[in-house]
Amino acid sequence: MRETWVVGAASNRFGKMSETGREAATRVSLQAIRQAGLGPKDIGYTFVANAFGISEHQAHVGPLINNGLGIPDVPSVTLESACSSSSAALHEAFVQVAGGFIDAALVVGAEKLSHMDTLSATSYFAIAADYAFETKNGATFPGLYATLASAYRQAFPTKDEMFGAIAVKNHANAARNPHAHFQKEISMATYLASPMIATPLRLYDCCPFSDGAAAVVVAAKEVMKSPVTEPLVVRASARSGSVTDMQDRPDLLGLPATRTAAAKAFRQAKMEPKDIDFLEVHDCFTIAEVLALEDLGFFPKGSAASAAQEGTTTRDGSLPVNSSGGLKAKGHPVSATGASQVVEIFEQVNGLAKGREVPKTETALAHNVGATGGSCSVHIFARR
Amino acid sequence: MSEPLPSAPHTIDEFVRAYEDSGKLRGFRCPGCGLVTATWGLACSRCGAADLVETELAPTGKVAAYTVLSVPGDEFLNDAPYAYVVVELDGGGRVTGWMPTVRREADLAIGERVRFVPSYKPGVQFAKDPGPTATG
Repeated sequence: MRETWVVGAASNRFGKMSETGREAATRVSLQAIRQAGLGPKDIGYTFVANAFGISEHQAHVGPLINNGLGIPDVPSVTLESACSSSSAALHEAFVQVAGGFIDAALVVGAEKLSHMDTLSATSYFAIAADYAFETKNGATFPGLYATLASAYRQAFPTKDEMFGAIAVKNHANAARNPHAHFQKEISMATYLASPMIATPLRLYDCCPFSDGAAAVVVAAKEVMKSPVTEPLVVRASARSGSVTDMQDRPDLLGLPATRTAAAKAFRQAKMEPKDIDFLEVHDCFTIAEVLALEDLGFFPKGSAASAAQEGTTTRDGSLPVNSSGGLKAKGHPVSATGASQVVEIFEQVNGLAKGREVPKTETALAHNVGATGGSCSVHIFARR
Repeated sequence: MSEPLPSAPHTIDEFVRAYEDSGKLRGFRCPGCGLVTATWGLACSRCGAADLVETELAPTGKVAAYTVLSVPGDEFLNDAPYAYVVVELDGGGRVTGWMPTVRREADLAIGERVRFVPSYKPGVQFAKDPGPTATG
């Protein structure tokens, strides 16, 4: 396997885009390619994530992006893995570059949801669950994570303020991130006063529906003779799956796919959780950040809920988590999310995360989940 | 020649229609590892053995986890608030379903007994189980 680097990464501002997913994807792609000091003709393959592109009446968007970049002859493919679509695309890009099939790849994720009302968007999100056995039984995406939260809170005594502290932390980080959907802090009082969406989850436990696009350029070390950015060495690119349905999970206190993907990733990287300086985890809901930190092995089961409240996972804590604001406050444009986690790590390492710097940036981990854990990606990065 | 495919005893549509038509909860049992599941498949999701046996699931059980939803999807638009529940069935297996009569978090508790209620409405519907005292 060849040593493989992330050499460029770009994101637009998440929230509400006036342009289409296709336009935004093309724009951030060119930005990421230029940032890497490359040109579109250096790209050997384009890996696209655009899970709900069909809602914009557009499938097969890869060739359109490549055409817009002036490289219509470059192959492309769209990958769908629900909310983990662009980290799945990154994994495939890594496999092709590390395996020597191509020298450089473009990974781009884009999503536009703002043309739909809340009901339609909620329904779109719910089709990533088991439509026949969950959605048809009344589940929504918040409902499924709320069910996990109820099981967690039954097993481990948890105060509302612990979940609230996660929301407050991630909003504070997003307030300092120009890519974020919500660029304002919230108080604990605001959190506690927000309406219940699916008990025990309040509005401010939930990520927003966001539009957005993010792109990452991956290249083999051997072709990057004089990189113009500080590259992220891909030390691990691991994916895993698990039983999708809540009704078939052996327990409801975590996501099995996170545990298995993390085990693979740490083995590949020859690292342990204690070797990681900061991380971006999949916090589509506050409970998801808790489960992620435990399932990834950073906290024993039942002990991560208080981490934000105690300051461990704040930007200046010993293990900064979601310095970008996370899905919770940076926003969650489904197919852009995985790539945007890498954008945050890239910006931290390259000194571009002004005002939200984390203290140590030698190593980082990105954790991205598909729906309620049917899929999971874990990537580990390090400086050269 | 490859091995013939296992014959699925019924389709997903038959699962769903059974909720309404026969008042039964359908499922599979794995003779190999004993898993009981209410999810359609050709092989056991735990051990991989492809010889699942059709089985009728018990209509009663207890709540393993639940949420009360205020913002539903489009197929439950006029039903919110309602509870979405994971039920641990008597005799094994878990089923997810919904409870139209549970409208507040305090109306239900984890561990509470519930019973499957056949309904013309979509999905698996549960109600609180009055228990044996109701009929003596």
